[in-house]
Amino acid sequence: MPDDLINIAGVKEDFKNSLASAKTFNELDEVRVKFTGKKGALTLLLRSLGKLAPEERKETGQKLNLLRDEIEHDLTTAATKIRAAENEKLELDSRIDVTLTPKNDFNGAFHPVMQTMHEIMNIMQGLGYSVALGPEIEEDFYNFECLNIPKWHPARDMQDTFYLPDGKLLRTHTSPVQVHSMLEFGAPLRIICPGKVFRRDNDTTHSPMFNQMEGLLIDRDVSFSVLKGTMAEMLNAFFGRSLKYRFRASYFPFTEPSMELDIECVKCSGHDENCRVCHGTGWLEVAGMGMVHPEVIKAGKIDPEIYNGFAFGIGLDRMAMLKYGINDLRLLFNGDISFLQSGF
Amino acid sequence: MYVSLELLKNFIELEPEITPEDLAERLTFSGSEVESIIKPAEKLSGVVAARIDSIEKHPTENNLSVVNLNTGTGEYTCVTAAKNIKKGDMIFYARAGSILPNGQELGIKEFGGVQSNGMMLSAAELNLADIDDPTGLLILPSSARPGDDAKNLYHIGDIILDVSITPNRGDLLSLLGMAREIKGLYPKAVLKMPEWLRPVKQDREWSEKFNSISIPDNGCYAYRLGLATNAVMKSSPLTAKIDLVHMGMRPIVNAVDVTNYIMLMLGQPLHAFDLNTLPEREITVRAAHDGETMLTLDGKERLLTQKDMLITSGGQAVAIAGVMGGELTGINDDTKTIVIESASFSPVRVGHTSRRLGINSEAAFRFSRTVDPALSKTALMAASVLMRDWCGAEINYRPMSAENNIAEPEPVKLTRKKLSVYLSFDNMNAAAKILEGFGIKYLSGNNDEMRFMPPTWRPDIKIEEDLIEEIGRFNGYNDAPNKLPGELPRRADIGAEMSCAGFIRNTLISRGYSEIVTYSFLPEDFSEKLLLDKNDIRSNPIMIANPISRDQISMRTTLVYGLLSALKNTLASGWREPVRIFEQGRIFLKPDNDLSAPNSHFEPNHLAGLIFNGTDNRSIWNDRAQDFYDIKSDLSALIKLRGYNPEFKAGHENFTHSGQTAFIIVDGVKVGFVARLKLALEQELNVEGVYIFEIDTEFLKDIKKRPFAPVSQFPASTRDISILVERDKNSEQVIDDIKTSLAEDGNNKILDSIRLFDVYSGKGIPENSRSLAFTITYRSRESTLKDNEVDLIHMALREKLKFKGYTIR
Repeated sequence: MPDDLINIAGVKEDFKNSLASAKTFNELDEVRVKFTGKKGALTLLLRSLGKLAPEERKETGQKLNLLRDEIEHDLTTAATKIRAAENEKLELDSRIDVTLTPKNDFNGAFHPVMQTMHEIMNIMQGLGYSVALGPEIEEDFYNFECLNIPKWHPARDMQDTFYLPDGKLLRTHTSPVQVHSMLEFGAPLRIICPGKVFRRDNDTTHSPMFNQMEGLLIDRDVSFSVLKGTMAEMLNAFFGRSLKYRFRASYFPFTEPSMELDIECVKCSGHDENCRVCHGTGWLEVAGMGMVHPEVIKAGKIDPEIYNGFAFGIGLDRMAMLKYGINDLRLLFNGDISFLQSGF
Repeated sequence: MYVSLELLKNFIELEPEITPEDLAERLTFSGSEVESIIKPAEKLSGVVAARIDSIEKHPTENNLSVVNLNTGTGEYTCVTAAKNIKKGDMIFYARAGSILPNGQELGIKEFGGVQSNGMMLSAAELNLADIDDPTGLLILPSSARPGDDAKNLYHIGDIILDVSITPNRGDLLSLLGMAREIKGLYPKAVLKMPEWLRPVKQDREWSEKFNSISIPDNGCYAYRLGLATNAVMKSSPLTAKIDLVHMGMRPIVNAVDVTNYIMLMLGQPLHAFDLNTLPEREITVRAAHDGETMLTLDGKERLLTQKDMLITSGGQAVAIAGVMGGELTGINDDTKTIVIESASFSPVRVGHTSRRLGINSEAAFRFSRTVDPALSKTALMAASVLMRDWCGAEINYRPMSAENNIAEPEPVKLTRKKLSVYLSFDNMNAAAKILEGFGIKYLSGNNDEMRFMPPTWRPDIKIEEDLIEEIGRFNGYNDAPNKLPGELPRRADIGAEMSCAGFIRNTLISRGYSEIVTYSFLPEDFSEKLLLDKNDIRSNPIMIANPISRDQISMRTTLVYGLLSALKNTLASGWREPVRIFEQGRIFLKPDNDLSAPNSHFEPNHLAGLIFNGTDNRSIWNDRAQDFYDIKSDLSALIKLRGYNPEFKAGHENFTHSGQTAFIIVDGVKVGFVARLKLALEQELNVEGVYIFEIDTEFLKDIKKRPFAPVSQFPASTRDISILVERDKNSEQVIDDIKTSLAEDGNNKILDSIRLFDVYSGKGIPENSRSLAFTITYRSRESTLKDNEVDLIHMALREKLKFKGYTIR
């Protein structure tokens, strides 16, 4: 009565029932022992195979092997499920308030003027300009004389100067770097010179220290059109849109002809008569420029008969204030981080 | 420069459709920026001339009078406190409903039972306080007709352009010059000449004895004197006074007003002497002697040098040439005989003197910007004419003159090639027309090259580029095509300094720092504030010779002061959160602290940072209070990202915490410090726990590159070791000793890393000691290390360390 002896279906049914009621690892382990332990039901069945007639043994053996595989697979699956359930409980038990402030919650912030300086440097690098830097304590010679501004010249009134006891001065503009660079690199040349400049002026619209960026291009047969195109590229890239702009004739001792550049008011585009940024004019003055004066080219030891070029100077503080909507110059240099962290 | 459009009509006739706004825009775009269009009488309405028909005492108020007025179309009653009126006087009357220049509307008011219809006006109520006694009514010339609108009288309704004149255009500091400029800008305009500029006969010998004019100093190009006798000093004509006020000057007395008026009209500064106050009847213009002094009419004693030029009489200085007159020789109320000085001086000399003495008089302002040397004759004659008209003087005396060589204008060439390169414009004939419009005469040439002669009043035209500018500013710059430059001359390079600055800001900002920029100046007392020693190089900053204030008196020698100010400002604005800030910038040092070293200084780039937990440092993350090791980790990461391995050694700064200060050493060189702020300074700021660092960033400009190396394929073994050390023994020293110990046995090849994982003091550890626990990782590049091999090596290490005096726990 092999069927009585080898009750495969019964064991299987028994296993399935036991497994279904096992909810923990312990219970699962009991099931495992009950069926696959040394005295387990499956083990006993396998052992009793030897009592069967050889022809039955093969067929029953195959069935038992299948049953064994199924039991092992079911046990593993059940274990995974129980693990998942237990983990799920652990996870739920260790739930947190994900809205709490992060650790090390420090908000870094760029300084608008420095950001402007680096942005414009990158734009100008794309147009082929290299950065040249010069000293902030400068000699009268480079700050004035070389730039066609002799000592008696009334143009010195345009730039009230801080002097040092030894006759040096705090550069009043980044223009002295023009001559330094011409002397160092010669022609052709394409440079920008960002940095701090100083003037003896302190009121709501003037700071004794501010930031400029000088640009200089020296080459053969340079046209005002290239200066115009360069300024347009730079401004559009910096403000991220195409702005209206206009040139006005002006005067700087170191350029001839000279002009100033106005851009359309970044706030009101000329549509607000009471605009606080442009005072209703619709225009903002952002840069002075011109074709480099032959005397300045000569001071740079370059032959003005062969080379000419243009130079421009941009007020970085003003550009920053326009781009980032800052209306008080004095906020820029007092280091108050409640201001620095307020904008982007 | 204030340009009266009313007076401008004397010099130029513009097409009538050109509005003041059009003119302002044209001037602005061509280089003379019009800052504003001033309409002093824009709001004025209803004010008319009126005749006083009667004046009666007010029935009850003693200090008031009741005045009956006739405006030609009606009679009105007005109550006034003014005393300077009489029957028959003409005054300005604003009846009820009229509006004054300041916008005030008049009504009917009752004074002690008498109704006053509007009011009679003083000069002040017309915004012309400077022209008359402001306490009385403005009495009009008897020629005034009742009922005439004030707006149409005496240039009251004038419109003024406030024009900013660039320093190269001294010629524009007059109406004559502005007219010539406007003629250039509007070719259809017609130049005119005012009545008083027409030549008069002046051929009589002087009625007064005058010996000579001599001008040994050739900085004086020409010196001329005109004589006016029997002059009567009084107030100038009303219109002239209003003109002067509109053009920014105060009327004084007729003879002085004449000189100012001519200066505003023609640009030639003039001076009027009382002949009888001249020390002697002669004038010499000479260089001053070094150390010579003179009392100028502002009451100041001026110390002179031989670069200055003096007008002297009988050896005595009477004026600093072209700059300012003296106190003694001016016009006074009794002056009858006037000598008018009209001279031409070198702009360089006047510029030097006015700049050095800080005198920016109207005369010095003009002379230093160049006054047309051809003008002195004309201006002298015109001034004489006005002395006749305004002062009743006799003027038909022949002027006396002395002249030195005056530089004549030189021809300037214009080539089509350069013109077209610069402006993308090559119409030479059109260019010549433009230049002629500005008074620059065509001399000769062809379509490729032309020669031009600038007029005497345009000494700024010297080179071809100057001519190109005239054409450029006439045509405007806005229509030029936009182009970009061609092939790059060389690779565009941000450069090491700015690349490094960019790297630093990106790194620190992403680590939660805010970038700040503070002034590069230091206050007078910064070194006391920072407790610096006198002999510290930072205590001896480069001073500013002419500072604006004591707070900004020298150049910074450290960024720490700015950081602390920033912290203070941040706290003052009410910030209570944690603070992390940094600044990059130059500091300024004298070489070797040598105060006398001339002509050299250092401007190293520095970086400084500050962290602070905030005044309200309560946090849900209790273990996250920032301390020394936080700022150290930021700085350390920054330096390591450039490939350097910073060492931190206990150090000292006067302004930092005695027990929490480290010097930062990179490749054997000290580059800066990181520290907690000195408690005294924290207490001064009323805060606790401020950590700062400052380094010289020069070394960070270069990235120290290391080649990538393959990792060992073999597994590592780790062993822990716990060492008892005295309190002041640095962990770095212990690590060094571990390394040397291994090296001494030749085992450094398999040392992979040493990591400190625990520092303990307290229970079970002797007083003044710490227990440092390290985990040491051993790993070979050649084979798998066996356990017993590692055990032996590690055991040997323990013995070595014991031998070096350590207690191994």
